[in-house]
Amino acid sequence: MKRNLQKVMSLLSVSALTLSMMAGCGGSSTDTTTTTETPAATEEASVEETAEETTEEATEETEEATEEATEEADDTAAADADSTPRNETLYFAGQQWGTINDWNPMSANSNNAMAQTQNDQSRELVYETLFMFNMNDGKLYPLLGSEYSWDDGQTELTVKLNPDAKWNDGTQVTAEDVAYTYDTHVKYQSSTGADFSTYIDSFEVVDDTTVVIHAKLGDDGKAINPLKVTNYLAQVYVMQKAYLQTVEERCGEDPDAVKQDSMEDCVTSGPYKNYIANDQKVVLIRDDNYWGQAESMWGKLPVPKYIAHTIYKDNAAGQVALSQGEVDVCQQFITDVQNLWLEDDLPISTWLDDAPYGMCAVMPSMFFNVEKPGLDQKEVRRAIAMAVDYEQIIASAMSGQSPTFDEYPRSVVGPIDAEREYVDFDQLEDLQWSNADVEGANALLDEAGIVDTDGDGIREYNGENLSFKAECPTGWSDWNASMEIVAAAGKNIGIDITTYFPEASSFYDDMTTCNFDICMWSSPGPGMMNPYSKAMFYFSEEYAKLASNWSGNFGHYMNDDAEAILEAIPTETDKDKLKEYYTELSKILLDECPAVALMYRPTLFYAVNESVWTNYPAADDGRNIPPTDCTDGYGIAALYELELVE
Amino acid sequence: MKNTIKQIFHSGKFLFGFVIFLFILLMCIIYPIFVTADPLQMIGQGNFFKPGTYVSVEESTLEKSYTLQLPKQFSKLDAVLDVDTRAKIQEFLIKQAGVAESEIDVTDAEGLVSLWQANYDPNTKYSGLTSAKRKALKRLDSDIKAAMKDSGVIVAEKNEEGELEQSKVIKDTDYININDVTKKTFILGTDNFGRDVLTELVAATKSSLKIGLLAGLIATAIGLLLGLLAGYVGGLVDNIIIFITNLFTVIPSFVILILISYSVGDKARGIIMVGVIIGLTSWPWTTRSVRSQVISLRNRDHVNLSKLSGHSMFRIIFTDILPYIASYVVMAMILQISSGILAEAQLSMIGLGPATTETATLGLMMQWAMQYSAHLNGSWWAYFPVVILIALISFSLNLMNTGMDQVFNPQLRD
Repeated sequence: MKRNLQKVMSLLSVSALTLSMMAGCGGSSTDTTTTTETPAATEEASVEETAEETTEEATEETEEATEEATEEADDTAAADADSTPRNETLYFAGQQWGTINDWNPMSANSNNAMAQTQNDQSRELVYETLFMFNMNDGKLYPLLGSEYSWDDGQTELTVKLNPDAKWNDGTQVTAEDVAYTYDTHVKYQSSTGADFSTYIDSFEVVDDTTVVIHAKLGDDGKAINPLKVTNYLAQVYVMQKAYLQTVEERCGEDPDAVKQDSMEDCVTSGPYKNYIANDQKVVLIRDDNYWGQAESMWGKLPVPKYIAHTIYKDNAAGQVALSQGEVDVCQQFITDVQNLWLEDDLPISTWLDDAPYGMCAVMPSMFFNVEKPGLDQKEVRRAIAMAVDYEQIIASAMSGQSPTFDEYPRSVVGPIDAEREYVDFDQLEDLQWSNADVEGANALLDEAGIVDTDGDGIREYNGENLSFKAECPTGWSDWNASMEIVAAAGKNIGIDITTYFPEASSFYDDMTTCNFDICMWSSPGPGMMNPYSKAMFYFSEEYAKLASNWSGNFGHYMNDDAEAILEAIPTETDKDKLKEYYTELSKILLDECPAVALMYRPTLFYAVNESVWTNYPAADDGRNIPPTDCTDGYGIAALYELELVE
Repeated sequence: MKNTIKQIFHSGKFLFGFVIFLFILLMCIIYPIFVTADPLQMIGQGNFFKPGTYVSVEESTLEKSYTLQLPKQFSKLDAVLDVDTRAKIQEFLIKQAGVAESEIDVTDAEGLVSLWQANYDPNTKYSGLTSAKRKALKRLDSDIKAAMKDSGVIVAEKNEEGELEQSKVIKDTDYININDVTKKTFILGTDNFGRDVLTELVAATKSSLKIGLLAGLIATAIGLLLGLLAGYVGGLVDNIIIFITNLFTVIPSFVILILISYSVGDKARGIIMVGVIIGLTSWPWTTRSVRSQVISLRNRDHVNLSKLSGHSMFRIIFTDILPYIASYVVMAMILQISSGILAEAQLSMIGLGPATTETATLGLMMQWAMQYSAHLNGSWWAYFPVVILIALISFSLNLMNTGMDQVFNPQLRD
């Protein structure tokens, strides 16, 4: 009894103490909850008055705050309820992380995945490109442009525009717009402008619907890289000349201001436009006057009225939403994805029914920094490459969602048949290594005289222990696990490899400035330039010389033979000759190991839930729509064919 | 001393905590004697294999088989056709195949199957179905086919001409003795890397205990030293030490922990380093409480007598003050060990723990289980035992602490 009293007393005095401290600190900075919840202590005479004051103030503040909160909640609830009915909205996950910065295709930091993703197969929801790439058959399909043709010498590319194409303000999309878009990119040196101005000389407007792209010519009078020029058609969004001029005017033609302009009032040509964008979600609404209803294009409107992307905290949150049917199309890596339908019996499917479940087209690869002592030795690089247990990476890190290197042996090309035609794999057989060949790797190192002399279990090169850091961004779980398996391989061959998973931004700094030992990055996906873009990714000296290199050859590997081949490929049209070139590049890649593919992977993950919508593209449906999440390149055709589940 | 220990062991709480802790400790010592495999070896190729015994399929087919006439508990068909499946079949037959509802009797398995076989064609694309449903029906069809098949699987091998030649037929009454074939038991399954969870768990507990012990020792040593100095010497020394201690108390120690771990880099982050870092950030409260105890002790008569006798400061501290707070310090250390283990788990969970390929720790196991969403795909064995073990360790340590408190603290004594 006595002890209980003591406890009560001590509790009382503690709360009194807290209160007096609060009072002493003044009302403005007090934590409202604590003060309002400790009225029991107010009997303490010394602090009574001040405490009461504080409490009153605090309560008022709280009331105000609650009112505001309720109002806000009401607003959002109302907006949610009557604006995006579930059966008119297609929900996405795994594309947009964090809040949108701007709607400006020239900006380097838009963080606006749904509206602006410009690559070999650009996202066609808000802005549109001239043509759409279809990775199923490797062809370009008309969008704003209706046809394109090169002249005989491959110096001029003529593009015809679809006369029906309109901006969402009702005016026509003209050749002037196309040319002005490019000129603006170049004028303000956006990354697109900087990239393409090496290969494109100028745009010439012939008439309203015809534009001619003049390629930059080399000393031999041929275009430097016609592949890259063709790729412009599928990659770069067309913007309206009149609108661009408005932006330039309001920014005073200041390059930084133009590139950072938020463009929230943008004039676009795509089927959707901005509706809601905040830190909770991004919603696009269909433009019912979209020009694509014309018979010359789709002949109808896309089916979902709204495209919505809730901003999830992490992959796990997105995955839960997918399995509960709150997300229709999910671009996320899901461990053991087959269990969603095999065990949980959910209406979820992927592109393929069986492993690898997706259309694998890119190769996440580890790059060795050849400027580091030790890694400049090809034996060390090759030994690490040989010792890695790739089957373990594919089975556990990738959860079986990748074909193995036995099925698709290593080379510079990806696992797509169209690309594999370019390499003669019989010639590469001697250079391939078997999975986790620790013995072979040890023998190779012993032979090269790279041995452990001081008995610490780690081999030395020039008296220095071979000790490297393998890095990739934190939280990229399949990549993190892959790097761990690489590190485990190092342990087996006497090379100390530790993993290092920094925040993505500091990883980018390391990778783009060649400040790493071993790093991991993914090869370009399918596009008009393939397999050339993959060859560039592994070997390009030009990339290595960039001050901030996002493109490839991060380890600064220089090889004159490879460079000569890279220069010859773009203008070569003879297929046999090309095959010879790519085979030769593959030989160098496997022999010298400047970079090693760790697995095959889809460009985009693709899992769909058929609780609300159905008729999504699938591998066996014969519709030739690629699994690009209903948004990228020709994959957007899926939006016109979706149906509601009965 | 002997008497004190006896007293401590009389406390039920202490004894209970001690037994749990001893059990964990013994597990860490004894298990590795029997299982010598490398806890980090990636055995399973794939994520999260279920707990159980895995037998070699190849050997099982080749091994001498025994015929056992075991009564079958259920027919294969009944196993496939549960209530939901029957409803599915019925729905398909009515909607897609156009069979009249009156013709279907869901209770008659054989009849249902013959209707199914007559009406379902796996190569037809039925309209009005989502592709997920179409795929589910296809799987169901192959299940039914498998269940309807006569017993017996044919094993065939390629002969010299490359043609298949039947070498064996396996009947459904064929059994093998599990002792005849190579097998591997994963009591707690495997993790996302295909490592044996139980072996890893034991190794992880060991390293977590090491980290906790090291962190606890360091934190207590620093805390004790500073507390004694501040409390006994007083004055300026006290002011300075308390100033520093206050600084560290105000800044959340976990934040300092993250900052130090991050700046140390992965390379140096082994078990010892992590232990030291945790120890270096968690001493302030020990300092504060030791100091207050010392302040109340230093004006006691026996201390004053020692002073008068001209004993040196160190002698007074070690003979006249330390023994009086020894029990308190031991209890504080137990709490420090417990919080050190928790701190390691927290650090590893945000990726700042020791290297995955070098050591196994409880926090790292949790981190990888989370990254591969074990909690979403029902792979409880990858994270639940870890959680239980962390809870047990800190529970047992805290229990021991409370037990000792009851013995040493006269106010709490019954």
